[in-house]
Amino acid sequence: MTPTPPPSTVVRQRGALRLAALLAAGIGALAWLGRSSDPAAQPLTAGPLTLGAAIAFTGNANLYGQDQRMGLAVAERWAQQAGPPARPVRVLLEDGASDEASAIAAFNLLIRQGVIALIGPTLSQQAFAADPIAQRLGVPVVAPSNTAKGIPEIGHFISRVSAQSSVIAPLSLDEALRRDPGIRRVAVFYAQDDAYSTAEVAIFEKALAARRLTPVTVQRTQLADNDFQTPITAALQLRPQLLVLSVQAVAGGNLIRQLRELGYRGQIVVGNGLNTPNIYPICQRWCDGILIAQAYSPELNTPINRRFQQLFRQAHGDRPPPQITAQAFTSYQVLFEAIQRLQRKGGLTGVTLGQARTRLMAELLRGRYDTPLGPIGFTPKGEVLQDRFYVAEVRMAPGGRDGRFALVRERTLQEAKP
Amino acid sequence: MIDVLLQTLLNAAASGGVYALVALGYTLVFSVLGVINFAQGALFSIGGYLTYLLMGGRIGVNGALPGWGLPAGLPFWLALLLAAAGSGLVGLLVERVAFAPLRRRGAEPLLALITSLGAGVVLVNLLQLLMGAEGYAFPEAALAGLPNALVIGGARIRSVQVLLLAVCAFAVLVLTLWLERSKGGRALRAVAEDATTAQLLGINSEAMVRLAFVVSGALAGLGGGLVGVSVSLAGPYMGISYGLKGLAVLVLGGLGSVSGAIAGGLLMGLAEALVPSDASGWRDAVAFAILFAVLLLRPSGLLGRRPVDRV
Amino acid sequence: MIDNGLLVQMLIGALLGLSVYLPLAAGQLSLATPAFYAVGGTLAALLSTRWSALGATAAGTLPLGSLVLELLLGGLLAGLLALLVGRLVLRLQGIYLAIATIALVEILRVAILNLPFTGGAVGIFGIPQPFATAAGYVLPALALLALAGWWCQRLEGMPLGRAMAAIRDDELAARCMGIDTTNVKLSAFVLSAVLAGSTGALAAHFLNTWNARQGSFDVSITTLAFVVLGGSRSWLGPVVGGLLLTALPELLRPVGDVRLVLFGLVILLGPVLAPQGLITPALLARLGRWGEEKER
Repeated sequence: MTPTPPPSTVVRQRGALRLAALLAAGIGALAWLGRSSDPAAQPLTAGPLTLGAAIAFTGNANLYGQDQRMGLAVAERWAQQAGPPARPVRVLLEDGASDEASAIAAFNLLIRQGVIALIGPTLSQQAFAADPIAQRLGVPVVAPSNTAKGIPEIGHFISRVSAQSSVIAPLSLDEALRRDPGIRRVAVFYAQDDAYSTAEVAIFEKALAARRLTPVTVQRTQLADNDFQTPITAALQLRPQLLVLSVQAVAGGNLIRQLRELGYRGQIVVGNGLNTPNIYPICQRWCDGILIAQAYSPELNTPINRRFQQLFRQAHGDRPPPQITAQAFTSYQVLFEAIQRLQRKGGLTGVTLGQARTRLMAELLRGRYDTPLGPIGFTPKGEVLQDRFYVAEVRMAPGGRDGRFALVRERTLQEAKP
Repeated sequence: MIDVLLQTLLNAAASGGVYALVALGYTLVFSVLGVINFAQGALFSIGGYLTYLLMGGRIGVNGALPGWGLPAGLPFWLALLLAAAGSGLVGLLVERVAFAPLRRRGAEPLLALITSLGAGVVLVNLLQLLMGAEGYAFPEAALAGLPNALVIGGARIRSVQVLLLAVCAFAVLVLTLWLERSKGGRALRAVAEDATTAQLLGINSEAMVRLAFVVSGALAGLGGGLVGVSVSLAGPYMGISYGLKGLAVLVLGGLGSVSGAIAGGLLMGLAEALVPSDASGWRDAVAFAILFAVLLLRPSGLLGRRPVDRV
Repeated sequence: MIDNGLLVQMLIGALLGLSVYLPLAAGQLSLATPAFYAVGGTLAALLSTRWSALGATAAGTLPLGSLVLELLLGGLLAGLLALLVGRLVLRLQGIYLAIATIALVEILRVAILNLPFTGGAVGIFGIPQPFATAAGYVLPALALLALAGWWCQRLEGMPLGRAMAAIRDDELAARCMGIDTTNVKLSAFVLSAVLAGSTGALAAHFLNTWNARQGSFDVSITTLAFVVLGGSRSWLGPVVGGLLLTALPELLRPVGDVRLVLFGLVILLGPVLAPQGLITPALLARLGRWGEEKER
């Protein structure tokens, strides 16, 4: 026995059907209008070429995104002031936010606007989502800050200027061991839910093993952690002589400060995530003396780095640029220089945008670049080949609000062991 | 052995105190309105940044006004109190915008979850536009004269955390006394118990709701300022994870129960401190697993009475 | 303009909105949708990258049939999990149920982060593609949504749907009327999980990568916002809410850095201005009667 539904229900159901039909028609129209409109087949227009940068301006990764924005702005000024280029280049910035879906949306948007190459996204996890799209459409990508394993392997259009820590991290360990050869007990801290930290800590652990050191403890923290009372007291009970930290900047600053406050006196070696003056205000005088492996040294004395420093300081006051800013600058620089070379060779005339993208990628990988990071090139896969790495010691100014990364050691690739 | 135990207890207290403070903020609002204010985490962040600014801290290069700061800084304690008051006012604003219009229309309480969340999104993103995403640490002079750490029977704790715990305990004590003894506190409890009866007794329940939001905002702000001095301001999102933990604590202790919020906070701190370091990746799951189990075994929480009773 | 990639994201949003709506239509505020979404996504990511029988090629392509199989398996696994968990949590009511389901989401997120085979913080990447472009995903997403919508529309006339509505109006009265409330609530919960699981499996392919962050507390709240802003009285509400709210941050791109402030304002003011959501029963009735007056 089913009671006949009251008429109002019937009317409402009919209304729902009509609305559903309307929606379906709307979605169909959107699908039709939003068909792939990648302008790759169109001839490359004269005038400036556009680089698209999808960087995190919102969400948790904004901390890195804002440093990258500074690097790109400085790079544009550098290009403008270097005299009239063979082919002008401009940058289109889009918010890639901190999640995968937004990075995909930003890449799609920029590709449709006809960019010749892409810079970004900020996080490695985002790169795994967005890079395959650029790869399928044949748009060159230069990643300024993706350090996870497997990024250049996404495809031959994907490259990066952010070196994996594999070559860098062991250098700082060697420096610590040189200062105190008696070190036996090592404690390791890393952020377990962070792609960068998990990749870097594996390299640190391998490097420790190669030096016959087994960590007495490995403490796993979370990205959002800033209170390390529990892991620190657990680690200090094992009386470590050396601490190895692979965490992001603010957490790292806190970790160092709390380690010192809780009485740790030994050496501290930190990974690349702390290569930013943003840590000075966090760990203040406690930063003093930590050893850091750097992919970028503000103290590198080359014309391009001096120029970069000068432009950065003009815009942002008297402080050294963070590594991530220098890498963002470099990502622009390599694309800019590859475009100029290609233009001079005539490779950008009479081609479609798609062909220009392919040629640019080939040219990019072929070149050698003198960048603020030092001389770099690429493997045929798109992995960065960086010749020089640095070990620095943080020296804080009296008062403890400001400091510098004093260059301790500079190594070329050939000398470095795993 | 005894020092390991002592260390665990100290670690538990250090994090549990803040959790309790955040949960208390939720509890006050829940007890009078029966809803959860999801903007609580944002108010926590605001308290931290306000304390920083009032102490004379400057805005970093990525903020809206790089290098700007107050001409003179206040001492930490004064800044903390003023920041708590400021967060209380923002809490009131949240009530006016996100809760009051819904209440007037007699809308479903479910909607307040969303509006308060929207308020939180607006506040956190405004904070980010103003201050940038970089971390800030308070001037070292904030707690000048304190030793770095205290060593108690072989166990270590940073003195700033002892201080933090003491302030949390003090705030809880004042709040409890106020709720129990003062006229305003009793009126608030009367509204929480039964709004209609309270109205008949001549208590202005609307005013009490506003009061609950101010006090709860101030508690969140106090938590933000204290965490700020202890572990710096890690970005505008810093309050969100505390907000989520506070939510778990709230339910653990029993929705709307003041003593439950405190016990729940300390218990959550203890549970986290007991997770062995090899399994520290599972720490956040432990907290929520306990919450899950408590909900299933005793839906009203540890110290809550039946769900209808509040405060 | 809305490109196909964004359209797919909107359709996924609509599907997740529906998944939150189903328990709510039986009066149960469950925020577990992201947990089941994560389960479906993780399963699809694991299967397509590890299980060679699915036919993923070295070039990163995948037969369409394998995608369909994954959607089914993702839904199935999520449904089984819901069957287990549902018996426990559905005894709780109101905000207690909401928080218990948030706890479930967090526990699963931490589990996916820590399990030895889910890729840790980086997650699982290089997920093979059944389609060459985003446009390819429009069809399966739309088909899934049409199926779910058709089912929800039919549900309103079925005994289960009527029992759900009765529980929503008054659970005690429904029990007195002889409705097996436990089973009805459980059915709604399981259906919601199946939908979320299948959606996750589709999303894993669309996103090319999958990690623990995909199913988090944030997703719980945004998907709830889909339902609240769209309207929780008809299945079309969460669909419209999911479509619009997913598109909104993208459409707000031109305003630059303040776009998330504006997005927050919409979430804040939406329920204040339209407490019943955009799609209200009155609106549907008006649409249903439209044209009738002229005929008379």
